[in-house]
Amino acid sequence: MSKVIVVTSGKGGVGKTTTSAAFAAGLASKGHRTAVIDFDVGLRNLDLIMGVERRVVYDFVNVINGEATLRQALIKDKRVDNLFILPASQTRDKDALTKEGVESVINELKTDGFEFIVCDSPAGIEKGAFMALYFADEAIIVTNPEVSSVRDSDRILGILQSKSRAAENGDVIKEHLVITRYSPERVDMGDMISLEDIVDILSVPLLAVIPESGSVLQASNSGVPVIMDIKSRAGQAYMDMTARFLGEDIPHRFLDIEKKGFFKKLFG
Amino acid sequence: MIATQSALELKGEMLMLNVLRLQDVDIKLIEETLQQKRNEAPLFFVQSPVVVDCSNLSQEQGKQLDLRALRRLLVRMDFVPVGLRNVSNAMLAASMTSGWNILRSSTKHPPQKALVINTPDENARVTENTSTEEQEQNEDAVSTEPVSEDQVNEAIENTSLTSRQKQGLIIERPIRSGQQIYAKRGDLIILSQTSAGSEVMADGSIHVYGPLRGRVLAGVKGNKKARIFCRSLEAELIVIAGCYQLLDESETELKGKPAMIHLEDEKLIIEPLI
Repeated sequence: MSKVIVVTSGKGGVGKTTTSAAFAAGLASKGHRTAVIDFDVGLRNLDLIMGVERRVVYDFVNVINGEATLRQALIKDKRVDNLFILPASQTRDKDALTKEGVESVINELKTDGFEFIVCDSPAGIEKGAFMALYFADEAIIVTNPEVSSVRDSDRILGILQSKSRAAENGDVIKEHLVITRYSPERVDMGDMISLEDIVDILSVPLLAVIPESGSVLQASNSGVPVIMDIKSRAGQAYMDMTARFLGEDIPHRFLDIEKKGFFKKLFG
Repeated sequence: MIATQSALELKGEMLMLNVLRLQDVDIKLIEETLQQKRNEAPLFFVQSPVVVDCSNLSQEQGKQLDLRALRRLLVRMDFVPVGLRNVSNAMLAASMTSGWNILRSSTKHPPQKALVINTPDENARVTENTSTEEQEQNEDAVSTEPVSEDQVNEAIENTSLTSRQKQGLIIERPIRSGQQIYAKRGDLIILSQTSAGSEVMADGSIHVYGPLRGRVLAGVKGNKKARIFCRSLEAELIVIAGCYQLLDESETELKGKPAMIHLEDEKLIIEPLI
């Protein structure tokens, strides 16, 4: 049985695409055939972060319009087996996405034997975001420890449970919370909302906390999903997230202020 | 706006009217029955406007009905006679000469029709704010529900509306920011939380077993007896029967605590919930 998972947040810039790329790569590296679809038509980013920008020939909209087959448009990742990317179009807008079109692509991926179909949602609550979540079985809500991000996530959760196909059929989409850019130091100083408060406000089960880390930016800029940087804290946290999603019982890490040793204090 | 300087404002409004549907034309009998009803609920009828409906009268009965006497009787009994409805042609002349207004007859359901009770699903409306159309429809349903005759009749029979308010709506999932939920004609029970930026409404009372964080509106059709109960009072705005209060402007010490809110002399009273 294949699962459609939407990665969404409402607010922009919180790490949806970073999370989609890392999560999809994580699932694939554990041996699951995974496709990740960029729904951000007009502002495509996923291919950049995955480092396949220069391999894009056909895109999602081409497939929907019947101008290319799904097989032609899917880009196979060179680093991880089982990982495929369906890029968005940069020259179209979100009106190019139709319910029927998206459904046929998702169905074709399912019959093609993909176990996980990760939908990278654009920001906002407009058509692109709606299309990304409509066919979802599960949802990963990406939130920053910041008021407006938490509020927007709450809003998208409402849309998820009232406007999706599952909701229309009377079903419930399984929700997972991922808090990104978390900095225990700044929570301690009162700059950021604590993870307990976020979970309390959203009342969604916590899947992972990704610590604020310079390696995320570095990985994005070099086109490598951060999960492949196994030395970085963010990469490890995404690895934990994937394992937890697949049912492993792994304690949360990077939640407390790192105690610096003597040498670290001296040399930073 | 120019409207503020104009001499008048003309707009349609829904008013509560009593409909007196005559089954007999004997003034004495009508008086006795009315007196009986009034004894059951003396205050209910004081100065209350009434429309006399003649749809159940035969042509013959219509001719026999003493409209002047009926009018005098109603005035004497403290009603405000508004007009006649469903008058047969044979009665038209008599009605005009006796000082009655003729109201346009209603084309609505026949009088014998039983009270229609909506299924809970029809009563429930969860809406998403992104569609303004839907929202307007929703507001429509809130504000322009016409007064049904059955409702009035039932009020006369039971002198209360409690039997209509027994239907409740139970919601198990959180009500998120931007969502609206409305329990028409009944109570609303929410087992989870309501988020900041959400709106929960009911014609009756509202119970929230998770944190109550959004806007909460009980008794939206004017039921002043409606109450709000919650396990953790963190609402943005509290409204009962149109009387509202921002929680931040309230001096209550019950913020974040279990509370019950009710209306007393047009004022919202927030009390601890034991």
